[in-house]
Amino acid sequence: MAELLQLAGSIVSILFIAWLARFWRLGGDVRIHSEAHARDLAEETLCGFNPVDIAIDKAGIAALLRDDQGRHLLIRRHGVQWAGRLLDRHSESRLDQNFLTIGTGEKTFGTITLNLGEQAPSWASGLRHLNNGPHKTGNTHA
Amino acid sequence: MPELFRPVDYAVPAFIILIIAEMLWARSRAPEKYEPRDTLTSLALGTGSTVAGALTGALVFSLAMWMYENRLFDIGWVWWAWPLCFVLDDLAYYWAHRTGHRVRWFWASHVNHHSSQHYNLSTALRQTWTGFLAVSFIFRIPLALIGFHPAMLLFVGAFNLIYQFWIHTEAIGKFPRWFEYVMNTPSHHRVHHATNPRYLDRNYAGVFIIWDRMFGTFTEEVDSEKIRYGIVRQLGTFNLLWSVFHEWVGIFKDLWSAPWRHKLSYLVREPGWSHDGSRETSDMIRARWLEAQEAKAD
Repeated sequence: MAELLQLAGSIVSILFIAWLARFWRLGGDVRIHSEAHARDLAEETLCGFNPVDIAIDKAGIAALLRDDQGRHLLIRRHGVQWAGRLLDRHSESRLDQNFLTIGTGEKTFGTITLNLGEQAPSWASGLRHLNNGPHKTGNTHA
Repeated sequence: MPELFRPVDYAVPAFIILIIAEMLWARSRAPEKYEPRDTLTSLALGTGSTVAGALTGALVFSLAMWMYENRLFDIGWVWWAWPLCFVLDDLAYYWAHRTGHRVRWFWASHVNHHSSQHYNLSTALRQTWTGFLAVSFIFRIPLALIGFHPAMLLFVGAFNLIYQFWIHTEAIGKFPRWFEYVMNTPSHHRVHHATNPRYLDRNYAGVFIIWDRMFGTFTEEVDSEKIRYGIVRQLGTFNLLWSVFHEWVGIFKDLWSAPWRHKLSYLVREPGWSHDGSRETSDMIRARWLEAQEAKAD
């Protein structure tokens, strides 16, 4: 009984703390504000990824980058941080005028729709021809 | 056997107060240090870990008791046994932790603690649910075989855990050199949680950083380089169950698809190892980064 009460107390406490974090507006609204910023995020996501072409979503919540080997890296906002995936032939993309929707094939990573303006068709075409071979993406190590 | 209290029970209210204090600090200085959904995930992982521990603790304690009954020495409850037990348990923790990063089977359990991209006091409570499944306890209970009573091990282990809570913060810079030399500190542990190539797989210490200095795994925090936290391939989700089980799922998939002669390696080799070289280990990432640094310097 004491253990159950302790567990209930823990659950109430964590919900209170999470509510407090929201109430105090912790977190924030991060955006990709420049190509240099996108380049930094790419390096953080995949050490050594050197983009030669960059497309940033109009709202700055995601970016698509291509390196000189033709690899495509998707970076998107995750809370107030960033997460990315190297796209491969398992990725899905759908073009709707200026909007490009990309799925990485990972259900938990989700899909992201980027407003790339006039650049959208050319990036969609690039993704369709994606055939990178094996990728160095399977590591979750810290 | 003396009547021992449960230190963590008394520490939990302090944990909550300190988290709120750190959130207040973040509110005025750097709101991005906390993310409500990340905090909720971390704390839920902590609560789940407590439940998992309660369900399996008796079994682990029984195993330790069995070892104690076959002990090599009668140490008993003499005063010097307590500090000695604390230090040896911390040494055992170092090796358990190091193995937790270098062997994928153990990493599958420990990765939970690292998967937040934030580094704050709530991250400290982000603990595994699958430690029992990973058999992580095998590193620390052999002290019972030497002659330390399992209740003493449990007691000093709890203080070890409590010590490690407060070092999960960016609110504290560095301490005086003598303290940083001996003790694990926020600075040393930030390095441990970093994904910057220079910091990967460093600073495994629990309480005393001297173990890392002794065994060659110590790296000092560099003030000029911004630290990025989390794991090399960030989860990109706050999904609680995925946070708990994603690496186990990854292991299962690899075991299923790998050729027979490589299956075992997916369990016992370092995270990121693959039989076809299609992935990267932390050593490979660091080597590539070092190469790039040298090329820049030339």
